[in-house]
Amino acid sequence: MIKVLLFGAAADRAGTRETELPVEDVSTLAEVWPLLAERHPDLAPMRDTLAFAVNGEYARGNDGVSPGDEIAVLPPVSGG
Amino acid sequence: MFAIVEESLDVGALIQAAQRPDCGAIATFVGTTRIDESEGAAVEYLEYEAYRPMADRKLEEIGAEIEGRWDVRRVSIVHRLGRVDPGEASVVIVVAAARRGPAFEASRYAIERIKEVVPIWKREVWSDGYVWVGSQVGTRDQVSGNR
Repeated sequence: MIKVLLFGAAADRAGTRETELPVEDVSTLAEVWPLLAERHPDLAPMRDTLAFAVNGEYARGNDGVSPGDEIAVLPPVSGG
Repeated sequence: MFAIVEESLDVGALIQAAQRPDCGAIATFVGTTRIDESEGAAVEYLEYEAYRPMADRKLEEIGAEIEGRWDVRRVSIVHRLGRVDPGEASVVIVVAAARRGPAFEASRYAIERIKEVVPIWKREVWSDGYVWVGSQVGTRDQVSGNR
């Protein structure tokens, strides 16, 4: 399993701040998105605005993910 | 000093902590909650959340970027989370340097980088609903997708 944390508008759309996905057959971040969008269809329209982090650092689609990793779904940041 | 806190920010204390005999300038930026108005409604307060500890680490990285680019002697960035009422500070940046140029430039750089890379989000709570800033997701009629 991997833990997926959602923040801001993404948590709002998904209706949850945390979920777990079975990713035994997944090796990259890009492969996680279809699983997440299937579970939380309201997230799908946000796809192009989202960034992702793996274990606390910004990551791209071809970056690897492994069981036990923490993935964060990050809408456009708006601090300050 | 880099921190993310839940309580109100003491701007004076942060400036005092930056005063040093080798510095001739302290530049301070304070971001505060502004009451915007539109279509008969108004912002009542802002609410911030963060992905920690990534956000803490990103603040420290901004500090390291600044020290690599400018001759500054002390950089403090403190961001508040939770509800921030109108006029109250959500972020305070204090840069002490020998001369004013680097202090001004570095403090500007810090706030712009915060808005680019630090995983912190704000929700505007209006009298008629809320909006996640940057995502335009929320409950106000003006939010795209709710029309």
